[in-house]
Amino acid sequence: MRIILSIVFLFMLTGVRAQLSADDVKTFTLRNGMKILVLEDHSIPNANMYIFYKVGSRNEHPGITGLSHFFEHMMFNGSKKYGPKMFDQTMEKNGGANNAYTSNDLTVYTNWFPSSAIETIFDLEADRISSLTIDSKMVESERGVVLSERSTGLENSPFRLLMENIFATAFQEAPYHWPVIGYEEDIKNWTKEDLEMYFKTYYAPNNAVMVISGDVTVDQVKKLAGKYLEPIPAQPAPKKIHLTEPPQTGERRFVVQKNIPTPVMGVGYHVPDARHGDYYALDLMQNIMASGNSSRLYSALVDKKQLLTFVNMRFGLSFDPSLLMIYGQLTQEADPKLLEEALFAELEKLTREGVTAAELEKAKNQKMMEFYSEFSNINGKSNTIGTYEVYLGDYRKLYDAPKEYAKVTNEDIKRVANQYLRKSNRTVGYVQSKVD
Amino acid sequence: MKKFILYIVLLAVITHSASAQAFKLPAYQKFKLKNGLTVFLMEQHEVPLINMSVLIPAGAVSDARQYGLANMTAQALMHGTKSLSKQELEEQIEFIGANISTFSGLEYSRLTANFAAKDRDKIMKLTRDILLTPSFNSEEFEKEKKNALVNLEQSKQQPRSMLGQFFNVHYYGDHVYSNPPSGTVASVGKLTVADAKAFYEKYYHPEYAAIAVVGDFNTNEMKAMITSLFSGWTKGSMVPVKADAVIRNTGSANVLLVNKEDAKETTFIIGGKGIPRSHPEYVSISVLNTILGGRFTSLLNDELRVNTGLTYGANSGFRATKFLGTFAISTFTASKTTEAAIDKAVEVYKKFLNTGVTEDVLQSGKSYVNGQFPPDYETSGDLANLLTDMFWFEFDEKFINNFQASVNGLTLERSKQLISTYFPKDDLRFVLIGNAGEIREIAKKYGTVREVAITQDVK
Repeated sequence: MRIILSIVFLFMLTGVRAQLSADDVKTFTLRNGMKILVLEDHSIPNANMYIFYKVGSRNEHPGITGLSHFFEHMMFNGSKKYGPKMFDQTMEKNGGANNAYTSNDLTVYTNWFPSSAIETIFDLEADRISSLTIDSKMVESERGVVLSERSTGLENSPFRLLMENIFATAFQEAPYHWPVIGYEEDIKNWTKEDLEMYFKTYYAPNNAVMVISGDVTVDQVKKLAGKYLEPIPAQPAPKKIHLTEPPQTGERRFVVQKNIPTPVMGVGYHVPDARHGDYYALDLMQNIMASGNSSRLYSALVDKKQLLTFVNMRFGLSFDPSLLMIYGQLTQEADPKLLEEALFAELEKLTREGVTAAELEKAKNQKMMEFYSEFSNINGKSNTIGTYEVYLGDYRKLYDAPKEYAKVTNEDIKRVANQYLRKSNRTVGYVQSKVD
Repeated sequence: MKKFILYIVLLAVITHSASAQAFKLPAYQKFKLKNGLTVFLMEQHEVPLINMSVLIPAGAVSDARQYGLANMTAQALMHGTKSLSKQELEEQIEFIGANISTFSGLEYSRLTANFAAKDRDKIMKLTRDILLTPSFNSEEFEKEKKNALVNLEQSKQQPRSMLGQFFNVHYYGDHVYSNPPSGTVASVGKLTVADAKAFYEKYYHPEYAAIAVVGDFNTNEMKAMITSLFSGWTKGSMVPVKADAVIRNTGSANVLLVNKEDAKETTFIIGGKGIPRSHPEYVSISVLNTILGGRFTSLLNDELRVNTGLTYGANSGFRATKFLGTFAISTFTASKTTEAAIDKAVEVYKKFLNTGVTEDVLQSGKSYVNGQFPPDYETSGDLANLLTDMFWFEFDEKFINNFQASVNGLTLERSKQLISTYFPKDDLRFVLIGNAGEIREIAKKYGTVREVAITQDVK
């Protein structure tokens, strides 16, 4: 009881003086269905704009894999008012910078700018959302850029290859099967028509959420959004994705060759999507098992047995059921068989005995620190608020998160460990230089 | 990702830009303890967190051929104290969600900590113990070393991790600025815990070190606390390495070809002499570099990525150190387009040197640098590192407070002079990492070639 109280207390205490109250976020929805969230913060004369489009590689199919990511690139290649190159030129001339990323679920566009440039940013965004130009010459040139991006990612990290293969093996029917960057041959072969279809279907105001944090006022944002974005018509909702992954009924394995000094190893377990009730328990379990050098897996596999040089557990928010992954790099002498014995023994111990009260308290403390760190700059604010809004359906859940974490008990952790960390539910794979 | 790489380079190279609406450094206090330790305190109350940054004036430049020693010493600080084992120390820090980490770069070593304001007493005491009474446990040191060796071997398969190191060696020759901060397989393999302890005893003293604390605290309380915790730190007799020697022994070959047999792309860098961080024109020169290769619409990225699709990203940057510095252009491309990409990079750079910038582009560059400046110094962690940087590189808050004026004051005329004076024209050095079988003949086009294998140690 004391633990829960102290977390809630700390949370309320800071809510008074810092921007950590859900009421600080102002929201409104335009007539075309675009939802906008605003968090004022005048500590620096800058602001940002994050736009989350609900489209990612899960919306693709073989033949157009990687198209969501390619489209992200095309959004910078010219529209009606601001022609080729003008989006970036105009933004940078006004002191702004931008970037974008694509995941399995989302395509996210980010602009960072001096607050004085906000109207220009609205104008730029509205222009490309309403009237993007898909020029054939631009498409060809951009294929080269994306092939270079794909190749340099694979050339410079074995983990890219490892992750892609875990997903490809664990998912056989659901769209998480293919990599976000796409297959090389798809990158070379999709057509202008594919891109036009994508734009019309997914780049609709009603398929997006916008978050703005920084040195702006809510009224200012309302006025600009009304002027620039509201006239853009809504589109019919995209088709629902009907492919789901059937339950995995036996352990799967793979080995992939790449010249690296020692193998890298990964294990993936199917786990539910972000809105499933087990999310918070799984997230705390992840902290206990692999966050920091005092975590269980680091302690057993890196420190005591020296089988891995590092170990990570990755589990995040997703629209569809996804994977909880454990991965690391083998030490010079490590025997993969001993590594697997040691790793799976730790997971079995977790399912059998659960965690200690101290471990649970530690994980909750770590969550609070992560929460504050995310709120220490305007980028963290927009990113976190937007992420909760999109994945959990309501940004307010972010402010409820401390309470949700506080509710998780040892029984919950034991239950989720038993349910998901089963042998038949896992995929085990290696990237290594020597193969038979 | 649209421009993942550029973004990283920007963070690394152009950390200094300026604000549109007069961004000022928040008020802070600076004082020295009797033992010479310089202390900076800055209150920031937005979130209930505190950040700390401690700078020790010894990095790879102090390695004295035991490459990697400064870094292994910094890592070894976290291996336990007189009263706590490594595992106990980690448990105490992580239980409250705090972070303490140590690392060493080319010129200095740093300890950073972040923690909740309520945990201040506990973490600051642990920080003191880590810095003043580390145990130098030999078993932990050997474990750390083994992992470091795997990481070094792993880097040898990653051209982008190796590019800067090969360039440093190629440009600086036997100067201490060519020392690889992570060491080499041969040198790290020989290091012992006794070496780390000796390095620590020589260099970890207060008189040339600085500590900055930024965050949710009361200055008077923090001042009393720092004074009580760190006054017992004893002075030594060392003087930080003055890395201002003349560069020599760089060899006659201006092209270093690094063979990676299974490479599908060529990663390359072209560069030469740069400027030290304390250079009075640092800000103006950064603006000009931003235009050449420090943003998405830069001349280099526009030509190599946007116009020709040769690469995912091309950039340039000044790597300014305390005494000297380098300037370099870098990018990567498919093996078969190696020549086209190098030619383009050289062509863009020559044009920049010969014709400079236009009024329009200069205005845009200035506005960009001004606009992107404030977020670099937004969090307590950013500010703590800035304060210790000010200490090491010997600049003060005028850098922040006059930034906008410096940027705005840059004229077209002055730009021309700065480009011709500070962007290297002669003796450009090339490093190409790729499949030598495919690009060996191309490499010869750019000068005398020396070839090494990526699997060799850099130094």
